[in-house]
Amino acid sequence: MTAMEKLQVKDGVDQETVDAVRSVGERYKYGFETEIEMEYAPKGLNEDIVRLISEKNGEPDWMTEWRLGAYRRWTQMQEPEWAMVHYPKIDFQDQYYYAQPASMAKEKPKSLDEVDPELLATYEKLGIPLKEQMILAGVEGAGDAAAEGRKVAVDAVFDSVSVGTTFKEELAKAGVIFCSISEAVREHPELVKKYLGTVVPVSDNFYATLNSAVFSDGSFVYVPPGVRCPMELSTYFRINAENTGQFERTLIIADKGSYVSYLEGCTAPMRDTNQLHAAVVELVALEDAEIKYSTVQNWYPGDENGKGGIYNFVTKRADCRGDRSKVMWTQVETGSAVTWKYPSCILRGEESQGEFYSIAIANNMQQADTGTKMVHLGKNTRSRIVSKGISAGKAQNTYRGLVSMHPKAKNSRNYTQCDSLLIGDKCGAHTVPYIECKNNSSRVEHEATTSKVDDDQLFYCRQRGMDEEEAVALVVNGFCKDVLQALPMEFAMEAQKLVAISLEGSVG
Amino acid sequence: MLEIKNLNVSLEEEEKQILKGVDLTVEAGKVHAIMGPNGSGKSTLSYVLAGRDGYEVTDGSATLDGTDLLDLEPEERAAEGLFLAFQYPVEIPGVGNMTFLRTAVNAQRKARGEEELNAAEFLKLVRAKAASLKIDADMLKRPVNVGFSGGEKKRNEILQMAMLEPKMCILDETDSGLDVDAMKLVAEGVNALRDEGRAFLVITHYQRLLDHIKPDVVHIMADGRIVKTGGPELALEVEENGYGDILAAVA
Amino acid sequence: MGLALEKDDPVAALVDRLSRDGTDGGWAAEARSAALSRLAGMGLPGRRDEYWKFTNPAPLTAAAAADVAAMPDETADVFAEATPLRLVFVDGRFDADASDALALDGLEIETLATAQAADIHWARDVYGVLEAAGQSPVERPLAALNSAVARDGIVIRATGQVTRPVQFHHRHTAASADCAVHHVIRVEEGAALTVLETGAAAARFNKVMEVEVADTGRFNHVRIQGRDRERLAATHLFARLEAESAFKSFTLTVNGALTRNECVIELTGDDATAHVAGACIGEGDFHHDDTVFITHDAVNCESRQVFKKVLKSGATGVFQGKILVQPDAQKTDGYQISQGLLLDDDSQFLAKPELEIYADDVVCSHGSTCGAVDETSLFYLTSRGISKEDATDMLVLAFVDEAIQEIEDDALADVIRAQLAGWLDRRRG
Repeated sequence: MTAMEKLQVKDGVDQETVDAVRSVGERYKYGFETEIEMEYAPKGLNEDIVRLISEKNGEPDWMTEWRLGAYRRWTQMQEPEWAMVHYPKIDFQDQYYYAQPASMAKEKPKSLDEVDPELLATYEKLGIPLKEQMILAGVEGAGDAAAEGRKVAVDAVFDSVSVGTTFKEELAKAGVIFCSISEAVREHPELVKKYLGTVVPVSDNFYATLNSAVFSDGSFVYVPPGVRCPMELSTYFRINAENTGQFERTLIIADKGSYVSYLEGCTAPMRDTNQLHAAVVELVALEDAEIKYSTVQNWYPGDENGKGGIYNFVTKRADCRGDRSKVMWTQVETGSAVTWKYPSCILRGEESQGEFYSIAIANNMQQADTGTKMVHLGKNTRSRIVSKGISAGKAQNTYRGLVSMHPKAKNSRNYTQCDSLLIGDKCGAHTVPYIECKNNSSRVEHEATTSKVDDDQLFYCRQRGMDEEEAVALVVNGFCKDVLQALPMEFAMEAQKLVAISLEGSVG
Repeated sequence: MLEIKNLNVSLEEEEKQILKGVDLTVEAGKVHAIMGPNGSGKSTLSYVLAGRDGYEVTDGSATLDGTDLLDLEPEERAAEGLFLAFQYPVEIPGVGNMTFLRTAVNAQRKARGEEELNAAEFLKLVRAKAASLKIDADMLKRPVNVGFSGGEKKRNEILQMAMLEPKMCILDETDSGLDVDAMKLVAEGVNALRDEGRAFLVITHYQRLLDHIKPDVVHIMADGRIVKTGGPELALEVEENGYGDILAAVA
Repeated sequence: MGLALEKDDPVAALVDRLSRDGTDGGWAAEARSAALSRLAGMGLPGRRDEYWKFTNPAPLTAAAAADVAAMPDETADVFAEATPLRLVFVDGRFDADASDALALDGLEIETLATAQAADIHWARDVYGVLEAAGQSPVERPLAALNSAVARDGIVIRATGQVTRPVQFHHRHTAASADCAVHHVIRVEEGAALTVLETGAAAARFNKVMEVEVADTGRFNHVRIQGRDRERLAATHLFARLEAESAFKSFTLTVNGALTRNECVIELTGDDATAHVAGACIGEGDFHHDDTVFITHDAVNCESRQVFKKVLKSGATGVFQGKILVQPDAQKTDGYQISQGLLLDDDSQFLAKPELEIYADDVVCSHGSTCGAVDETSLFYLTSRGISKEDATDMLVLAFVDEAIQEIEDDALADVIRAQLAGWLDRRRG
């Protein structure tokens, strides 16, 4: 770090905001496509495809059976319709359920050097957090170079397949397992068997069940008892192939007294057709363990007329199984044409804590229906929800949440703050909270406000010389401050920029 | 520098005329004061010059060094060198004061084709100017005007003025809500900025601010017009006799 | 009836049970048959319906209702000081002998039966019309059922500033009383009317009140729902508010096994205001559901929803409230608060406070809280020598008072306060 940079950080100057504001005007910069030879499974879904996916991943029989069980349940299920999102019926038989770079199809690369350089170039272009693209690119000694800064281990998932995980050795020294889920099925079957599907059951909902049948890859983390994971873990998801659904599966287990912070980033190319993304994330926190899970979701949102974009149907749930365990979800949702996502916490352990911080921005024709569930089962449990929704253009943005205090969850607390901001008179902002309080020693508080971006604030900024978009980006970043502060530093910067970029064209 | 001719303005939402032909010329290096009773249109004049929504200019013109202000967006007027110190500075929750200042300074530099200040230069500059206005580091870190006292808000306005170095400064009721000490501090800040290339338009209801910021010319505004113009002695006349006598004499 | 329904259809069974003989003029026959088609199209609500997530509608939709022994009639005179024009219903039937004469300065008033028998009547523009409009976007089959079968009720057209309130008093005498009552009210331009409601009505009571308020009209409504413990009730209040009109409705509920009070308001004229409030206190086998849906269709309107629920010994309090702001309803001021006070661990408060907003220049907010009596306040009161029971009652009264304050007339608000304090007293013996 140069002396100048140090000075900035010390004095709390928000360089990020300034930079973010300056980058207003950039288009969706992740919209490029990578020309890589892909190997696809045949289009459509049936038991043979499920078997093929399982075989491609070299899975044992129990895993294949687990998938087939899920597939059979799925065929009996209906797509949910309760969310405030509208989209043409999805033809689930007109999708590819498996795609992988051909270079990886023959034989898994032994080292990153064997990975297709085009693929690594893609990650470079994406500006994968910090220095890791060097490592992903297989630069000799890059690990040491990066070690000087703040370390982040990255698992990169390209369409359906994990292309490489960094810092594995260093993590292994601490006893932390960080690998792709397919590798975990092969190498750590006892852990996978014990925890997979225990937080999000196979038949939980339509999309989760579909995911259980066809998930192709994703990340797996296990942090052993008492270990504080020595670096941030991160997965970077990229949908590239056309007409291909992405169904990743993430499983994170924080054993007793451990701590891990996990970051997730997502991008996709610009395409005219819609693409399906249905992920499942399961978190298990045992006694005294803490998991921080942060997402910056920037899937391609479609163009300003609503053409193209990702359908993002995601099931994320944390089980605070142990006493005094803690899970914190932070999400910045700026992408996707349709978002359907409710990262939740089951507060089972006594004194366990759940937190949910969310920024959801919907511009143009985007539709977002997102929120959280805090289910209080144990005594003295705590939860906190801070949701900031911003609607612009012709977008619809819905907060949907549940806070439930069960009869046995004595002396528990919830606080919810849910604010919506409207930019322009063609968009909508909606709030649909469910509150269920079933004991009297607990306290639930919910507050929500909806208003438009303040004209006086905008005029004040413009009188000082900022143009309208700059002023809006600044004011909106201020509106989101509580949530941005909850993000790890690397993501906070990216998120601030995204806020500005996502609102491009929303004024004037 | 600032030239206003026959400015007629009404409210957009209701058919109510506020300014009824304002004529005013402010020369570079001078301090002009506009005094007048409540509702005379003083604040409307400042908002119309700065380009706030909600007003309709039905006739007349306003130029700054020959540039027509009325066709410009608020930020373009700011880049031309027009600065308004607000009567009620706006609170912007979540946006740090420093972030705000730096964004504004660089937006204007960029608009004028000047190089943007880097973090270190900016920091040095803002610290020096803040110190002279007794603005501490804590105030700089807090969100813009949020939780500021009346005096802090006004000092913050003057700090922004000092940082942006405008050529035409309009101070709208800057003395309102200030005690004597705070007013002195603000006036010192303003006086430090007085220079040959810069002009001031000080809008005030009371004469007391003009004890500290000595005007070259004093105008009396009533019912949407400038009804009398004179030297500093005019302000003293208002102080002694109120507006009644002057308005009666004009009428 | 115009529509053929299957014999074992639960809709047909209910319609059959509640239908009574009567004469219909042309308009009434049409309105009834249209309501029946609506009902047939919707079917009866079930437990799986999202709108009935927190309340099981089965007792309200069952072909028959269990007998409920009537309690002494105790609220007939609570509003005596306001000298209301009192109209008495016994087990859901209008009782002319027990009622004041149908005449009051500033209004036209008659029974629903009389109005329905007429061939032409102004009520055709209101009866079943506001109810039908209120069926979208959420269906309310029990209200359509009421429009299809109701023959009792009062029809009022207020044309001036009516100073005496009109009181509908419902007396419950027969244990098996199961009935539908339907009131129709139109407040003309510049007119004002206050309607009071009292009494338990029946073992199972289905009531609809449709209220149309013309420009600058004012309508106030204060209701005390009867105390019969086992009583079932499904009530709907539909209102359409034109420009600069003002609407206020308050309901106090104590006891009743199952009560669903729906309030559906549409602000169609600019600068209109609507306030809906409710306070309920229940214990044991008590399930109280307030479901409110306010639609802002016009500019610069204000709406408030204030609901307070005090729950004890296994009681359940439900609040579903929505503020819907349509695209052009700029400058809307919408507010909603729902609060549950749980006096013990067996009770529950379930809420779904919703905002659905399609206009940008609005200020809308809602809050919802649930918890126990504040320990610090309780301690403070008891430390001054007040018994714990008295202190709790004081805090309960303070808790619900925000809702009572929504009553326009202070004297009526005081009646409610006194009534509530009396009931709390008596409960403790």
